Amino acid sequence: MTSLREMLENVLRDLKSAGDIEASAIVSRDGLLIAADISQNVNAEAFAAMTATMLGAAETATSELGKGIPDRVIVEGKSGKIIATGAGSKALLVVMTNPKANLGLVLLELGKASEKVKELLGG
Amino acid sequence: MRVGIPVLDDVLGSLPKGKTLTYYIDPEVEGDVFAMQTLYTNLEEGYRCAYVTSTMSPSSVRNRFREFGWELNDFPGFSMVDAYSGFVGSVSEERYVVKDPSNPSELDEVIKRAIRENDLVVIGAFSAMIDLCGEDFIRVAENWTREASNAGSRLVLSFVAWPYGDDVLEKVKDMSNAVVTVGGVHHRVVLGYYYGLLKADWADVNGIAVLFRLVRPGGVRAYIPKILVTGPFNAGKSSFVHAVSNKAVSVDRLGTTVALDHGHVEFKGFSIDIFGTPGQERFDPLLKVLGKEALGVILVVDSANPETFPRAKQMLEATTRFGLPYVIAANKQDLPNALSPEEIRKRMALPENIPIVPIVAKDGKGVYDVLEALLRLLIGGKYDKS
Repeated sequence: MTSLREMLENVLRDLKSAGDIEASAIVSRDGLLIAADISQNVNAEAFAAMTATMLGAAETATSELGKGIPDRVIVEGKSGKIIATGAGSKALLVVMTNPKANLGLVLLELGKASEKVKELLGG
Repeated sequence: MRVGIPVLDDVLGSLPKGKTLTYYIDPEVEGDVFAMQTLYTNLEEGYRCAYVTSTMSPSSVRNRFREFGWELNDFPGFSMVDAYSGFVGSVSEERYVVKDPSNPSELDEVIKRAIRENDLVVIGAFSAMIDLCGEDFIRVAENWTREASNAGSRLVLSFVAWPYGDDVLEKVKDMSNAVVTVGGVHHRVVLGYYYGLLKADWADVNGIAVLFRLVRPGGVRAYIPKILVTGPFNAGKSSFVHAVSNKAVSVDRLGTTVALDHGHVEFKGFSIDIFGTPGQERFDPLLKVLGKEALGVILVVDSANPETFPRAKQMLEATTRFGLPYVIAANKQDLPNALSPEEIRKRMALPENIPIVPIVAKDGKGVYDVLEALLRLLIGGKYDKS
């Protein structure tokens, strides 16, 4: 018997095994942590809340401009990237990569994972 | 003696002599901690407590307690009932030893002795005993509850509700004076764990259920995933979140919150995450998204600035339209022209039963009273007893 939480955690584990990804989380659209693969010394709840704010703000900004909903938000920094993408209407998926990550590959894996999360959470 | 679990302590009052309490645990959940916490709480109070292990070596049990910061060796009142070492053929140095744990009558005899000689006996894995000795073993355990009742001791069972026959599950519930269920919830997007009081024959119970999380060290904490702090521009929402939180982060630009404050607080056995919103109207679209699924609302108002009250009322209506409980934090009470809570109630036309708590957020004055007032609303009238 596998619980929903475990299935979601498996999606995150598979994502990590694709390489370049250091941490990942599934967050509800309103900023609550659903599942995470993040090291203990990161405040995962605050990270989740801020990620939801980031994506929520980006979606509000682009839709106010009449440009529809963005596919993802990518934050680039010297020590890594944060990528947040929607995963159905209830949740979003966020990953933190190392600085040398192959962005194309990560986006491809992220897209697949977000579909799986969407299915698991029922759309 | 108490059960040592937040909220349950308030509802049950105590764990009286002669009673048997069962933690009835969904197999998906790490629920053994509940019985451990009950045991440790009472060790600290100076009671003689015994822990029965049948699935782990005594040293593994001690390590499991250590995960939560609980050191059993510090307490002379602690003793172990070792019903494990006999399986693996190792020598046991514990006070109570069951030489052949698969022999129900020996197990029975040693546990009865432990019940007579201690104030509290915790069976760490009652379900494992049933697995080993068969479902008839429940009849033996029924005798333990009688033994506890006669000896004026207490018995706490940790029972994982594997798919046994319905009659077994019912019997376990029937033989206990109190049953606390521990399970998982999947309510919309909140994947969490809860515990609830199914029955207790010494208290007036009306089905409470509480979300929880495990904190290491610390143990079981009642968990409130989202309390929303809202209010007009410059009312002191961020100051409130920072004053009340053990740790908090904010996204501030030019002295005002542009995205969100996030704070976490451990308070009276509760583990609470707090979300603070921006105050200006231009951020309202974001509020709609982030305000969802809150369990309660704290509205912060600037007591010296009644011109902002209409906006405050509007924000309150936007966030509480689903009947969420809310309290008002009347901030900036240190200013000379600050209005009193009753004056604010009148000006904002708030009902009599809504708590309005005077605070000075920048100095941290009264902020925990606000939290306490909201918790009381969330948990219901029962919480008043504490």
